[in-house]
Amino acid sequence: MANVSRIHRELMQFSKDQSILGMSLMADDDDVRHLTATIPGPTSTPYDGGIFHLDITLPDGYPFDPPKMRFTTKVWHPNISSQTGAICLDILKNNWSPALNLKTALISLQALLSSPEPNDPQDAVVAKQYLGDYATFVATARRWTEDFAKASSANFSGKVHKLVEMGFPEALVKKTLEAVGGDENMALERLCPK
Amino acid sequence: MDSEDDMHDANDAESVDDDFYSGETAMDSDDGDAADYEFIDNDSDDSNDLVSHRSQQNYTILNETDIQLRQEDDITKIASILSISNVAAAILLRHYNWSVSKVNDEWFADEEKVRRVVGLLEEPRPLPNAKELTCGICFEVYPNDSMRSAACGHPFCVTCWQGYISTSINDGPGCLTLRCPDPSCGAAVGKDMVVSLASHDDREKYRRYFLRSFVEDNRKVIVLSFNFLIIDLRFFFISPLIQNGVLLLVVDYAVDFIVGGGTFDVTCRCSYSFCWNCTEEAHRPVDCDTVSKWIMKNSAESENMNWILANSKPCPKCKRPIEKNQGCMHITCTPPCKFEFCWLCLGAWSDHGERTGGFYACNRYEAAKQEGVYDDTEKRREMAKNSLERYTHYYERWATNQSSRQKALADLQQMQSVHLEKLSDKQCQPESQLKFITEAWLQIVECRRVLKWTYAYGYYLPEHEHAKRQFFEYLQGEAESGLERLHQCAEKELQGYLNVEGPSKDFNEFRMKLAGLTSVTRNYFENLVRALENGLSDVDAHGGTSRTGGSRSLGAGSSKGRTSRSKGTASRSSGSRNIDDSGHWSCEYCTFANAKSATVCQMCQQRR
Repeated sequence: MANVSRIHRELMQFSKDQSILGMSLMADDDDVRHLTATIPGPTSTPYDGGIFHLDITLPDGYPFDPPKMRFTTKVWHPNISSQTGAICLDILKNNWSPALNLKTALISLQALLSSPEPNDPQDAVVAKQYLGDYATFVATARRWTEDFAKASSANFSGKVHKLVEMGFPEALVKKTLEAVGGDENMALERLCPK
Repeated sequence: MDSEDDMHDANDAESVDDDFYSGETAMDSDDGDAADYEFIDNDSDDSNDLVSHRSQQNYTILNETDIQLRQEDDITKIASILSISNVAAAILLRHYNWSVSKVNDEWFADEEKVRRVVGLLEEPRPLPNAKELTCGICFEVYPNDSMRSAACGHPFCVTCWQGYISTSINDGPGCLTLRCPDPSCGAAVGKDMVVSLASHDDREKYRRYFLRSFVEDNRKVIVLSFNFLIIDLRFFFISPLIQNGVLLLVVDYAVDFIVGGGTFDVTCRCSYSFCWNCTEEAHRPVDCDTVSKWIMKNSAESENMNWILANSKPCPKCKRPIEKNQGCMHITCTPPCKFEFCWLCLGAWSDHGERTGGFYACNRYEAAKQEGVYDDTEKRREMAKNSLERYTHYYERWATNQSSRQKALADLQQMQSVHLEKLSDKQCQPESQLKFITEAWLQIVECRRVLKWTYAYGYYLPEHEHAKRQFFEYLQGEAESGLERLHQCAEKELQGYLNVEGPSKDFNEFRMKLAGLTSVTRNYFENLVRALENGLSDVDAHGGTSRTGGSRSLGAGSSKGRTSRSKGTASRSSGSRNIDDSGHWSCEYCTFANAKSATVCQMCQQRR
């Protein structure tokens, strides 16, 4: 069983540093081992200005086993799957240590956004582009940041508008779009009654 | 050659003596549980004799204790040379794959660097000197004395250490390189700390990883540097029991092998034999290349074989299999053969024409089929020289001997677990006196193995070397009949003594016979193996008249006296030495142990 008191301590500690970091970390109301986080895209990178959402699950072995983290916002990055948001980062795998914590892991992720490691890729297509055609990579990453990571952008309201025109209530559309990181298709999927 | 033979026979004689009359035999093993599984005594001297009498032994079978002792030796050595603790020495050795010389070299080249890489601090730092400390993992505050740290002094509470260590051990052998949990640190966590904090089960796991690492990592490093080490090259290997499937025993015996000492065959104490070089099962007299060729062929052919036999016919001229997938009955074989023939009757196309009923319906075939001349199986037998048929011929016999060997192994186990006890009961013999039966079965298993590989040998023996082929087939035939005799005696005749009410009078005679047969067969097979390994060079020396030469070189082979009458130096030399106190004499010709009263060998009818 994961060490719940440690998680609470981490959350308390995090809330103190939150403003400096510009990140957010929230546990689900009913399950402290399931959390969501956001990290700002680092400045002077194609991700600048974006807010990236993450889904975090703490395994039973936490903190001795690493947390499971995944981007819910779509990101164009060699070490992050453009399809699933899976992350390739050593400290989330072999190099995890129980003396690390969610805050350090999130900081590491932010660092990963600034300095990709295309030689150890998660997404081969992106990595290939990064190595072969850097300009296109930067352009694509920037466009993805615009499209998916900027909730408040004109683009966002454009999407809201589109979905509202389809007949969904505006408040629900906004909430859903935010939850899926701005992905129009995913939002539509969620909105459609099953 | 002669002297070598003498040596072997002398060994045989000794082992026969041992087996019959010494009280200390396999079944006396004090290791109760192990005795159920092990075919051979725990006492290493004994078992080594048993497996190695056919060649000088260039390997040692190590059990866990042996491995541990060697490991401890190396650790102590490094600890005293470098003046460091045993724990630190173990960390160092493991990092350098247990190579003592590598540790020495690296350490004296740049101690500081080695320390940094491995995580050994020069000066251990104590825990911070405060009454209460915060654990770096659970963030709780604890009194100083319930905190622990590696040599670096980073404090973590005991509970977190335990969780950390347990997670690591259950993740696999990586736990042997455990470091301080502080990501910026990297100080090594030694065996002592792990052992003191791990749970009982985890401790056992850790201990095994530690031991295995000595064996496995060692092997890797030496294989890598194979070309650079010349003398006394040793490495270790876990006996591949699990692959075997037949033997249930999963033991971590390691084998210490010294390259350059002759054969590659290694027999583990569990009785599984394998080739050091290619790790396939032991395959003397065939070399590793032939084995891999043969195994490859088997895996490739067996699937194809059925299809080919069912769907193709061999070209009547060149025997290559031909599939008729469309078109008329007029077949033209592919170049260079280009033979034109009729698919139906397999006759030459030139014979076909109007008179045979037209080109497209061969009435020769129809007519002959009605008369029963063109029986398909008949045809097949005719085509025996077809390469695929030929392969099938060898493969079937190879496979039959293989399964026969598996059966013999199972019988041997059954014998040891059930029958020996019963027999000992019925015949009022201590089990230690029944070792000759185990011996016989071990020999059968070995013979089946050799025989099996002679079929791969035969398959690759060039067709045009007629003299060699003939000689080879003769030897093989003799080997087979010799083995059948032994198998028959050990299987059928033994039954007679198992299913009786009281002790049989002639049980001693049976003992003599079976032990004699075992020894004869062993001799024959050892000579056979040697002859085949030499590429049947006797044939070259003797030209076409290989029979007499061959039978001489193989010495005592057949009880029917065909080969045994030839006076091989090998068997003669063993004769006189085989007379022992209990009043048996060993036949000079076939080494059969006869009762003192007999003047004629009961096995081969030669005079004493």
